[in-house]
Amino acid sequence: MMEIPPLVLNILINFAIGLIITLSLNLEVGYAGLPQFGRVLAVLVGAIAAGAIPGRILAAMMGKPAGAEYAYHLINYRLVEEINKVLATNPLLSAAIFVLTLVFAALLGGLIGYVTAYPAIRLREAYLGITLLAFGDALQIIAWNYQPIVGATQGVLVPDPFRCIGAGHVRFVSATFIILGIAILIFIFIEKLGRSPFGRALKAMRDSEVAAKVYGKNIPRLRAQALIVGSALAAVGGALWAFYTGSMKAITYNRLVWTFWPWAYMMLGGTGNNVGVLIGVLVFSTVRTLIYSYKGLLTTIIPVNPAWLEYILVGLAIVLIVMFRPQGILPEKPALTLPREKIEKIRESIKV
Amino acid sequence: MLKLLELILKALAYSSGIALGAAGITIIYMATGTFNFAHASLVAWGFYIVFSLYSILGGSPYYYIPLAALFSGFLGVLIYVTVNRRLLKARATMVTLMMSTLGIDLILFAFINIYADYLTEHYKLSAARYFVLELKDYVLGYVGETPIKAICIVAPIVMLAVTLSIHAFLKKSKFGIAMRAAIENPSLASVLGINPEVVYLTAWFMGGALAGLAGGTLSLVISGHPAVGMETIVTFFSGAIVGGLYSVFGSLLGGLLIGLSEYIGIYSLSMAFGGGVLVYRPMIPLLIMAITLLIYPRGLAGINWGRIKAFLTSIASRGGR
Repeated sequence: MMEIPPLVLNILINFAIGLIITLSLNLEVGYAGLPQFGRVLAVLVGAIAAGAIPGRILAAMMGKPAGAEYAYHLINYRLVEEINKVLATNPLLSAAIFVLTLVFAALLGGLIGYVTAYPAIRLREAYLGITLLAFGDALQIIAWNYQPIVGATQGVLVPDPFRCIGAGHVRFVSATFIILGIAILIFIFIEKLGRSPFGRALKAMRDSEVAAKVYGKNIPRLRAQALIVGSALAAVGGALWAFYTGSMKAITYNRLVWTFWPWAYMMLGGTGNNVGVLIGVLVFSTVRTLIYSYKGLLTTIIPVNPAWLEYILVGLAIVLIVMFRPQGILPEKPALTLPREKIEKIRESIKV
Repeated sequence: MLKLLELILKALAYSSGIALGAAGITIIYMATGTFNFAHASLVAWGFYIVFSLYSILGGSPYYYIPLAALFSGFLGVLIYVTVNRRLLKARATMVTLMMSTLGIDLILFAFINIYADYLTEHYKLSAARYFVLELKDYVLGYVGETPIKAICIVAPIVMLAVTLSIHAFLKKSKFGIAMRAAIENPSLASVLGINPEVVYLTAWFMGGALAGLAGGTLSLVISGHPAVGMETIVTFFSGAIVGGLYSVFGSLLGGLLIGLSEYIGIYSLSMAFGGGVLVYRPMIPLLIMAITLLIYPRGLAGINWGRIKAFLTSIASRGGR
């Protein structure tokens, strides 16, 4: 496999994960108009699924402890090493467990989306936004303190389904490209979904709830569906990130990184425009990775710690965007449906 | 029993601080419709003003609490003048306003960290990234063996004084009445010669100052670090939202309720389920907020108190007959 510099690899993986999360956010905020300030909730659910489910299935298959003791770090660290040795020689099992976990993550994410729909149907604007934010924080507190699921403060290791492709650099390259591929698939899915009757109904609801209601759209149902789909996709993103890093610690899933930064990406790119979101994520993840990678060099030029520079940059970007270009780099365009000839052709084909 | 007294005193000091901060959020929200995320950093700046001035200049930490309020109030004015005014003129949506304050919060957070680094390097304050000012507080006396810390008396008094002066300001002073008018109906108020911009500016100053005051008082109750605002912000939000976001007194009450239940609630839970539940303390404000909102989607102020009062008086008068 060709040599790819680690810097490019870092940019690519941050871009891929950021794209999945931000697209799911765009579906809920840009399309459905929900103030989703609790994106981290679904991401964390996906990461918990990746931390808790595949390891336990494999441990049970190998006749090792798979209950609450699985998450105890002294057992977990050794057990996952053993599991990884098995996975390294068994590509089929690796692929199966990878796909199965993503499906579980999506299902659990959808479930948590359904749960958050309960307040989302009843509350408005700031009340809803802060409630969602509180949900995300609450789950983080539980995951950080309740040991039997994902090991609380010690965290757990996540079985590595990419180990069978190779070790070291090859593993990271292949993992990055697999995740990038999934991100592109999700991009195509969301783009199609946005143009579908469902996506247009969401936009109608966002622009005028009363008008959408007049045309017979079920508003509570649309809100719930947007949350379920968005949360399922975000959970897949969280699970992929846990697989990529090979470990799951609840403290790293905070609202700053997994809620507010995706918001910034989305606003820079263009709320409601998926291509814009893609550009926004690309710009931000490149800049952030560059700052992070050249920390040492930057310290010699500027007198402050570059970590704070990152905050100033993201903060300044948000403020400048909302003040001077609230529509983002690529403003939202009306969704184009099928051209007239195509619709007539379909009508012809149905007639027969 | 003595431990309980200490707990109640600390809970009083803590909840007074939370109430002050929650009132600040509500004032800004009422006046400008901005749900202020930057409150987190304004509170944290309150912590750092008290800590740094006390460490460098000495004296008593209490001298610097008013300065903390002034500084955060000034930051509030700065936020209004640079960002919020323009967005209000452009009639930005609520979510846009929220996001703008989030961006400001990130910038202010970075500056707190830079300031903490600066304090560490130039003033050799090794505690600048994690400090416990509680230990420097005065002990006024002892009840049995429980020390009575000064902040446990000062914080509730400050809270009461602020409540009374806000009440007097809004209900009695000419400017306060003008302010209420401008909040209720900006266009009608401006026809009568009230400048809504001055009202917004004052609200941002008051909100910021309350955040600084909250930070200054809380710095003597809980340990301080640069992310202290980010950690406590949800508690302030809970206080403001439980109070209903449309009444300063509601949010003061909501903040008190949230702060007290955080301490007392976790204490009683730990009595029932053992010490293992103590780590879940930050969940209490979240749960109370979620439950309140699901029952009353507009917070406690959304309850029709007038009707309840009429119902109660009707029962009372019937009982009296």
